[in-house]
Parts: sequence; C-alpha cells; structure tokens
Amino acid sequence: MLFLQQLLNGLANGMGYVLIAVGLTLVFGVLRIVNFAHGEFYMLGAYATYYAMALAGLSYLPALLLSTVLVAGLGVLANYFFFAPLQKEHEFTILLSSLGLALLLAHSAEAIFGADPKYLDTPFSDAILDWGNITVTQQRLLIMGVATLLILLVYAFIRYTRMGQMMQATAQHPEGAALTGINTRFVHGYTFALACALAALSGALVGPTTMLFPTVGDWAVLKGFIVVVMGGLGSVTGALLGGLILGVAEALGGSYISMGFKDAIGYAIIIAVLLWRPQGLFNAGAQR
Amino acid sequence: MSKTALLQALKLSKRFGGLQAVQSVDLSVNVGEVVGLIGPNGAGKTTLFNMLAGSMAPSGGQLFFDGLDCTGASAHQMAKLGLARTFQITSVFSALSVWENVLAATYRHQQASWMSAFFQTRGFRDEQVLMQHRAEEALRQTQLLHRNRDTAHSLPYGEQRKLEIAIALACAPRLLLLDEPAAGMNPEEGAKLVQLIHRLRDQGMAVLLVEHHMRVVMGVCDRVVVINSGEKIAEGSPQEVVQHPEVIRVYLGREAVHA
Amino acid sequence: MSFFKPVQALVLGVLLLPLAMGNDYVLHMLTLWALYSLLALSLNIVVGFLGELSFGHAAFFGVGAYTSSLLVMQLHWPMWITPLAAAAMAALLGWLIGYVSLRIVGPQFAILTLGFGAIVLTITNYWVDVTRGPMGLSQIPAFSLPALGLDFSHAIHMYPLALLLLIVVLYGCHVLQHSRQGRAFIATRENRELAAAIGINVFRTKLIGFVVATALAGFTGALYAHYLRVITPDLMSLSYMSAMLIMVVIGGKGSLYGPVLGALLYTFLLEALRSSGAWRMVVFAALLIACVVFLPGGLVSLWRRRQGAIA
Repeated sequence: MLFLQQLLNGLANGMGYVLIAVGLTLVFGVLRIVNFAHGEFYMLGAYATYYAMALAGLSYLPALLLSTVLVAGLGVLANYFFFAPLQKEHEFTILLSSLGLALLLAHSAEAIFGADPKYLDTPFSDAILDWGNITVTQQRLLIMGVATLLILLVYAFIRYTRMGQMMQATAQHPEGAALTGINTRFVHGYTFALACALAALSGALVGPTTMLFPTVGDWAVLKGFIVVVMGGLGSVTGALLGGLILGVAEALGGSYISMGFKDAIGYAIIIAVLLWRPQGLFNAGAQR
Repeated sequence: MSKTALLQALKLSKRFGGLQAVQSVDLSVNVGEVVGLIGPNGAGKTTLFNMLAGSMAPSGGQLFFDGLDCTGASAHQMAKLGLARTFQITSVFSALSVWENVLAATYRHQQASWMSAFFQTRGFRDEQVLMQHRAEEALRQTQLLHRNRDTAHSLPYGEQRKLEIAIALACAPRLLLLDEPAAGMNPEEGAKLVQLIHRLRDQGMAVLLVEHHMRVVMGVCDRVVVINSGEKIAEGSPQEVVQHPEVIRVYLGREAVHA
Repeated sequence: MSFFKPVQALVLGVLLLPLAMGNDYVLHMLTLWALYSLLALSLNIVVGFLGELSFGHAAFFGVGAYTSSLLVMQLHWPMWITPLAAAAMAALLGWLIGYVSLRIVGPQFAILTLGFGAIVLTITNYWVDVTRGPMGLSQIPAFSLPALGLDFSHAIHMYPLALLLLIVVLYGCHVLQHSRQGRAFIATRENRELAAAIGINVFRTKLIGFVVATALAGFTGALYAHYLRVITPDLMSLSYMSAMLIMVVIGGKGSLYGPVLGALLYTFLLEALRSSGAWRMVVFAALLIACVVFLPGGLVSLWRRRQGAIA
C-alpha cells in the first residue's frame, strides 16, 4: 500500500510540475524563448495568493483566481518590456536577459516580502481523505483535479479555438504566420500571459503543500526544464507525460532509495534523456 | 583509379528517406585542373558538393583523396587532408576583422602549442611570422589587403565573397571547392574571378566549382560535368558539353546564359 | 600583440598601494576581487571564447574547494599539491560533463549544464559523511610558510599572491587569444561550420576549452577555501553562478580585462550596498539586463570603442 500512497503523491506533485512545464514549453514553441524567469511567476502566484488572503482578507479560491489574473498581467508586461524588444537577437542574449529578469524578480521578492518562509494555509490543506490505507490531503486532490481540468482546457483551446490555431501557426512557421495576417506580437503576448497564468496557478495550488520562500522560483524553473526537456521543447503532450513521470519517479525514488537524493533523480533523468534522445521523449518535431 | 586524380569519387550516392538525391556518380579532379559542376536547380549538385567536402556522409560509393580512402570523412578531416571549400550562402566570421578571418584559416598548418606561445619560443614566433605571410598572400591574391582591419560584416557583398575565397586560400589547400563563387558578381568581377582561378590552377591547385554563370564556366573550366536528377549525364570539355544533346534537352526552356 | 604595456605598471602600482597602508578590510576586499577575477576569467573561457552559456560552472569552483580542503584535512596531503589536485579533479569532472554536454547545440546546453550543476550541489549537500552537508567545512588549514612568517589566510599575505596569480592567468589568457588554440576557440564560437571547413575539430576544441576552464575554476576554488577557511555547498549554488555570469557579462565577455572589471564592480558595489540587503542583487540584476540589451560587449567595450579595436 505504501507504493500506492507514494504513487498518488507522485501524481499530485507531477501535476504541479505539468502546470509549470506546459507554460514553459508553450513559450518556447511560440516565442522561441527559453525563459529562466518562468519559475518566478510560480513564486509570484504563490505569494500573491498569500497576500490576497492575508491582507485583503479573501478566502482561498478567490485569492487564487485574483493572483492568477495579476500574474498573467505581469507576464504581459514582462514580455512587452523584456522579450518582445529582443525578438531578433541571438538566443544567448535572450537567455541571459531572462536570467536577469529571474534575478530581478526573485531578489525584489526577497527585499519586499522578506526571506523568511511563509505558510499558505487553505481550507483544503489540513482536511484529509482516507481511502483504505491511503491518505491524501484535499489540497493534493485539488491540485490533481484543477490541473487535469486545466490541461484538458488548454489542449482544447490550442486545438479548436482560433487563438489556439494562431499559436500553432506562429510556432510552426513564424514568418509564414505573419504573412497570413496573424498579429504575431499579439499571439506572443497572449501565449506568455497564458504561460504565466498556469505557472501562477501552480504556485497557488502547490504552495500550500510546502512553504513559500522567495527563491522557490529557482526550484520551480528547474523542475520545469527537466519536464520540458523530457517531453520535448514545444510539446504540450510531452509536458504532461514528462511531468507525471518526474513526479512519480521522484516520489518512488525518494521513498525507496533516499529522501535526500530525491531531487537528484530528476537531474539524472534529464541527463539520461538528453544523451539518449536529445529532442525529447515525445517530441514529434513541432507541436502537440 | 587514375594515378594523377587528386579527388576521386566512385559511384557516390545519397539517399534521403525515399528520395535518391545523388545516384552513383563518378567524378574526379586532377592536380592543376579546373572542373565545373553544372546542372539545373535541384539536380543534386549541392548534395554532391557537400559529400565531396565531407559535410555530408554518402549513402553509398567511395571517395578518395590523393589515393587515400576518405569515404565518410568529416568536414574537418577533409580540410586537414588539404581540401578547402566555400559556401553557397556567404559564410565568414562576421564579427572578426578581415585579418583575423584569414589568420584563423592558417590553423591546419600550425603546430605551436599554447605552451610555446606562453614562453614565446623561437619556434612559436617563427611560425607566427610564416602564418602572417600566408594570410597576407591570401588577401593580396583576392585584392583585400586594404580591408585588413575592417570587420567582415561591414564588407559589401562582393567583397565578402572574395573574403570567403581568401579564407579558403589561407588554408593552402591542394583542392579548392567553390560553391557558386560568381553568384551576385557583375561581369567585371566575374572576369577577375576567372583570372584568379586560372592563376591558382597554374600554381598547381586543383579546383572544382559549382556554377550557374555559363560565361564563367566556359571561361575557366578545363572540364565540365553535368548533373541532372542526381545522375551524371555528360562530361567533357566546355565546348563538347554545350553541344551534347542530353545537356541541351535538359537546359531547353531554361536561361542558358546569365550575364 | 604585446601584453606588457606601460599603463599596466601604473595600475599595478595603484593596486599595490593598499599593502603599504595595511588596512585589513580593504586588503580583504581586494583579495576577494582577485580570486573572483580568476573565477570570472575561467567562466569567460567558456562563455566568452567558446561562446557556450554554461550554467553549471559554479559546481567546478565548489568541487575544487572541497577537494583541496578534504585532501588536506582527511588525507593529510601536503598543501602545495592540493590546489593542483583540486584543478585535476575539477578538470576530470569537466571532461565528463563537457563530453556529454557539448554534443548538444542550442539552449539545451544551458539546461543540461544547469542540471549537472544541480546534481553536484545535491550530492555535496547530502553526502554528509564526507562533505558535512549544509554545515560545510570549517577550520580549513591555511597555506603558510612559517619560516618566512607568511600566513596566507591573512589578506596582507594572500593579496600579493592572488594578484601575482591573476597576472599570470591574464597573461595566459592573452597568449591564448593570440595562439592557434585560442583562435580555434573563437572560430568555433563565431561560425561552427566554417571552423570545421578550415580543419578545426569543433567538438574536441570546445571540450579542451571547457576542461581548461573547469581546471582553472577548481584551482581558484582551492585558493578560496584555504583563504577563507570556511566553505559550504552554497559555493555551487545558483547565486554564485549568477554572480559569476554577472561579472563576465557586465565586464565584457570574450575580452581579456572584462571579467576582471566585472569582478571589481561586483566585489565593491556589493560591499558598498551592504546596507540595502536584498536590494543589492536587484541592482545587479538590473545592470545585467541593461548590459545584455544595451551594451552587449560589457563595460570593456565602452573604452574599446574609443580605441577602435576588434573582437
């Protein structure tokens, strides 16, 4: 039964990773940017939820929604000021710029919010469900439920809506898409906002299961990279499968081998994948 | 296998999935000879060229350089053997100066290690002087010496193309592979290019060029090979090839002569 | 191209002045600057000369620090050999990581090296039996020459040594830029395909550069460990990595003195802004972004523009 318990934990964590990774992979696919600052939006989502509850007195779910919208808006600004102007630059420049943004956001957060860890309490974090020998907090169930729903929505969005198809077109052929009249700048901004919203949501959902500190973004972006590299840069399906695999591998590895080396498992996976199949496990070349 | 053939390709083929880009081509270039490779667009010239230069591995056939089996050798290995090439889309070290560009190309002839540079040994300093002479000579042959200090990307297109050739020359190759060297050149520049190639040939270099400019091909080549749909359809002197019925058929309806 | 110029004598004189004044605090800052300069120069080989954005470089710094310290403290190796052993260890690790990573072209390289760096950090953190984990190593023996009364954990003695090493390494980098090997590094950075076409084995060249850089980082780590006498796994963290990148990029990647300038800015500005707490790093982050966007050649390019020099 320990196995099932760990499996469930792993899936819950994994869905959290998926939310981070989907945004990261979309930004790469559509904007061709590897965004080191992505984890910071996860961090901001968690902190925004915390402060919305602590300062504005909102309850958890409204706070979560508010913070998602806020951080998405911040993402639009970030794209406008940092990434859009650098569109034509060498990827080196963009990578370094995104590192700069990550540092800017993380250290600003430290300066403003303080470096001490904060605890995000929600009505779901203590409530427990018992299923035979398996224990799961409602928060974890919430993560899995919301994340699953979101992934399906994102998938449907990309496949069936006009904006989604414009995103696909821009990802597959930037110049061609612009020639057919697609406003690629708008698509970029939209995609970035969507990615940040997903990251923020992940932060708000997963935050309560652990503690918040300003540098959590570094951890989040690294997980995101691991998943995205596994799944293939630009592939949403890959991000989904990769995230779940990582979550489960960590949970099982952590309990059966050693808690300490839990994180190392993810890094070992990423290395193994990049060496064996650098384009990712599920990458068909371009999208979905 | 001809004793004097510097480069010898036997039944060279390349397959991309379902597409046979090059089919069993025999090609040779001798010392002191200028060979032209022509054919319509999409005939497989570039693929063949890349296989000869080592930047693409053949699916079948063999390649020999000066008698040595170098089938499947990589680009840098071919360069080490004494082959130099230019690219269809101008390829130089854009951010570096013209001087730095050609000096870099003297790489394969240098032996001095970093240690000998650190201690400024006699051997190192002598080698440096030698390499500088070589670089200077390459720039002189392509009339770029006055552009020494300029950054490569600040050069106008025609001069960048010349820089490409200067880089190739600085490698002191035995075989020079030129990919559409006359592209974008006016007739005057084209004539200068023909003169340069003739000079190089007289100095003992072997040259293979892919070209669409018929005037250049006629003017400079000792021998012409015609490729169509991945296969060799004709070979001979420029005059012979131009009258070859198959060649005429393939080029009919296409512009046979570019200014 | 001469390395030794008259203006350097002047600069050297200025740099040696603090020794006469004997202010421990300033000397300590200067020693840190010299050590950080060495570290930045090592990263510059990868980022500047090879043109590869490595996010795992701090790991080699840390590995060097730990290797030297542990060899002295646990295995009682003589202290004059351990920095070289540290360099060798870092070089070995660099060879392994470089061998697998340099095959990958594109942004995946940055991610891969980030992952490797994170693994090394995690292992150091959790291998408590050997490394004492997050607590780190303390009371690391210092280099000393008792016969001459020299104790290299004191800034007044360490500073001239570090400065001397810095000059030697700068000369080495200068020589590199004008040597066959260095030109090959730059060629692979500028145009991979053309580099191969002129006879350069691109992969092998990048690997050599990578290993040299990691060896230097490891060596510097050893010096750092025996000077400060306290080290923690933090040395391998993203914060040290970012600091290094900031020094190289703001100073001027690919140049000779850029990393040294960047280290100077970092060491002294960080100290000057000490009272601002976390805002210090915000300032550096803003500087990094500003440099990347507006001044890609770094601070060095400001003065080079006036001289009209190239690459």
